[in-house]
Amino acid sequence: MRVVWAFLRRTGTALLVLFGVSILIFVIARVIPGDPARVALGPNATADQVAALRLALRLDDPVPLQYLHYMAGLVRGDLGISLYTNRPVTTDIAQFLPASLELIFTAGLLMVAIGLPLGIIAARFRGRWPDHVVRVVSLTGVSAPSFVWAVAFMLIFGYWLKWFPISQRLHDSFQVAPVTGFLLIDTLLAGDGAAWRDAARHLVLPAFALALAGIGQAARLTRANMIETYDRPYIEMARAFGFAPGRIARRYAFRPSLIPSLTIIGLDFAAMLGSAFLVEQVFGWPGLSRYGVQVILRKDLNAIVGTVLVIAAMFILVNIIVDLLTVLFNPRIRLAKGGKA
Amino acid sequence: MMSSLTRLSGALLLSTMLATTAVLPAQASGVMRLDEVPVGELDPAKALDNADSLLMFNVYDTLVLPAQGQPGHVPHLATGWTIDGNVFTFTLRDGVKFQSGNPFTADDVIFSIDRMKAIGQGNSYLFQIVESAVALDPMTVQITLSETYSPFIASLIRLPILDRAEVMEHLGPGEGEMGDWGQAWLSTHAAGSGAYEVVSHNPQAETVMVRNPDYFLGVPEAAPDEVHLLYGLEAATVRAMIATGDHDISSQWLPPEVLAAMVGDGAHLLQQAGVGGFYIKLNTLKAPLDDMNCRRALVNAFDYATAVAINQVTPDVAAAVPATGAITVGMFGANPREDGVLTRDMDAARAYLADCAYDPADYTIELSWIAEVPLEERLALLMQQNFGELGFKSEIVRVPWALYTDLVSSPETTPHVSQIAVNAVTGDPDTLFYPMYHSSQAGTWQSPEYLNDAEVDAALERGRTAADPEERDAAYHALNDRLMELAPTIYAYDLNEVFAASPRVTVPAMEDPAYDFSLDAMGLTFRLIVMND
Repeated sequence: MRVVWAFLRRTGTALLVLFGVSILIFVIARVIPGDPARVALGPNATADQVAALRLALRLDDPVPLQYLHYMAGLVRGDLGISLYTNRPVTTDIAQFLPASLELIFTAGLLMVAIGLPLGIIAARFRGRWPDHVVRVVSLTGVSAPSFVWAVAFMLIFGYWLKWFPISQRLHDSFQVAPVTGFLLIDTLLAGDGAAWRDAARHLVLPAFALALAGIGQAARLTRANMIETYDRPYIEMARAFGFAPGRIARRYAFRPSLIPSLTIIGLDFAAMLGSAFLVEQVFGWPGLSRYGVQVILRKDLNAIVGTVLVIAAMFILVNIIVDLLTVLFNPRIRLAKGGKA
Repeated sequence: MMSSLTRLSGALLLSTMLATTAVLPAQASGVMRLDEVPVGELDPAKALDNADSLLMFNVYDTLVLPAQGQPGHVPHLATGWTIDGNVFTFTLRDGVKFQSGNPFTADDVIFSIDRMKAIGQGNSYLFQIVESAVALDPMTVQITLSETYSPFIASLIRLPILDRAEVMEHLGPGEGEMGDWGQAWLSTHAAGSGAYEVVSHNPQAETVMVRNPDYFLGVPEAAPDEVHLLYGLEAATVRAMIATGDHDISSQWLPPEVLAAMVGDGAHLLQQAGVGGFYIKLNTLKAPLDDMNCRRALVNAFDYATAVAINQVTPDVAAAVPATGAITVGMFGANPREDGVLTRDMDAARAYLADCAYDPADYTIELSWIAEVPLEERLALLMQQNFGELGFKSEIVRVPWALYTDLVSSPETTPHVSQIAVNAVTGDPDTLFYPMYHSSQAGTWQSPEYLNDAEVDAALERGRTAADPEERDAAYHALNDRLMELAPTIYAYDLNEVFAASPRVTVPAMEDPAYDFSLDAMGLTFRLIVMND
């Protein structure tokens, strides 16, 4: 019951945060220099045309009035029209968000699947060559931004070795009807194995480029936490009982070390929605991050607010999930809450 | 639980890695890929930039087309026209069908003009002077202008003809009888008669088009069967894709060094010249540039040869051609290249400076460059060095485009020096120079000079009202001479758009001057492109 109450309280707080974000981004978007109507209509538009569009967009109204009008639309599910694509912002977000999420989910999967085992190996063989190799790999991962890896992977695996495609989400020869927008799912729903493999191949380079820093961070954190855990008396006791090293690592050292890693991976995951822009740009990935940057450059007010709200909502959602998982995996928190109850 | 999660993740990852080791699919024969900036606007009434023009020229048709390899225009959806003062009467081509199967008639022309004017975006400003458009019969349309405008035939290049019946079936909600004029529907669908049909359109990713089997002129066998127009690709990505055979034609926006690298990878270059120029604009209302002699000093101190060299792609090709004067070579009033090009002359610069009322040491010149165009920073540095030799102090200012359009609305906030590349929207010099220099147009992104000169105004007005081509040529020659005298602008170079293309494609309109349209984006008319595989 306490957990449910905590979840509801977090949800309420999240709505308040979103409300604050909406006001902040609404005002900031209007402070960016430049007339959105002029930018949208292009350089040859007449002053009358610009004035007409400003009127249509209510840009001459006081900002609080504009905000109220926007919020009235928002509660009806109407985020306005994007001046960048000339489509409803909701249509754009519905089209671009799944592409970003698919990329980020895959990157998150790589962070878990590679980062955590690397950290375990490094801790298990502390001070020996596997540890040194993992430390070098993880340090390399965190030492360069994702767009550097994106370009490097594209050159090595796309341009020279020609192992993976370097642009878009699916080869031209495949036609898959969009259902969820997640191509790995839509291709399965269509029963097209070749298209699924192609979609997966398109994901490999951008997902690795995006995940590499997170992999390095997860590995380093897991290693540090596990080393700390290995020094605990109960591990010594497990060794004294003659448990196998693998069992000690998996069952007694790894689980308590996971909580900080889980938090960091969760935060990285949420942050990727905003930071995936450069990777999406390099690989021509039609995602929400790329869209977000383009609409900022074009001062597309409705799209800026809509995109930021969606990213903020995702960030908050992931944080709530991480908090819940932490409660789930940390017996001290769980039992403490239970004790209070 | 968590170790299970890790194992599950590992298994999924491993299965993905194994599943993805298949050989890459080859580029399909007959499929052509090219790229442009984001974003592609499919509604022709909102078309503005190159990406939009590419879609417009290939999905829709116009009444006329620019003549290839020579000045003037040739019939297209119109078979001929007569001009009587401000009244233009067009005979329309019989038997043309839209992609929907609907027949093309005069009503479609009238609807297209009305829609363009009603929406008021894109290039609609070209048609605000249309007073009326009436159908004399189903295949004859008469257009009356509210004022004399000789280059109107050239403007028709920017009037794609829509399938009225198709659009009327897809009107969305909006004010009045016409609702949204089909804007919502036309943002993702096409209603044209063009040589290519839209299969899918994602404005941030790509537009896929296939040949129209019923095109009234037919689509040659050698033309691409399917075209993928991709948006917003990075330079490095395009380079890698062309080298791996996954891409065919780059955009013109790549840095010269990237284009050169692509040539090294086996690509060849496509060129489109005669469409506009690169202009370094001087604020004539701001001291010390309100003194004509100071402006002339800067014009003569500018290093034109280095500006061209900055754009050099290969020893033979540059994205810039030396200018001969104010007007781009190839347009009415241009000085022929044989008579010489603009060059740096420091002696003349010092002589003009001596006659300038201001001491350059008293002023700091703002050299602005548009943040989205990194090349302009190089030119700003060049100017800083050039003008410094005359004793001018200068400050390089990076200005985002959206801010720039605001700054230039007042002479006080307009920088001393602005840099802009401008193309003639219709190919006619009127659309290039009237918005730049007519005193009624001052204070826009094209006219930060704030020039106010009666002789310039008169020449521009003669240029747009004279019916006789020779008279127009004379008017623009007079304009050219007067502008060189007033020096409101440094005519850095004429633009030469350069694209990289894979060996799979030949583009005659951009490789052979005999087929040159001399119009931005029209060189990439897909039906005239030859696929070599």
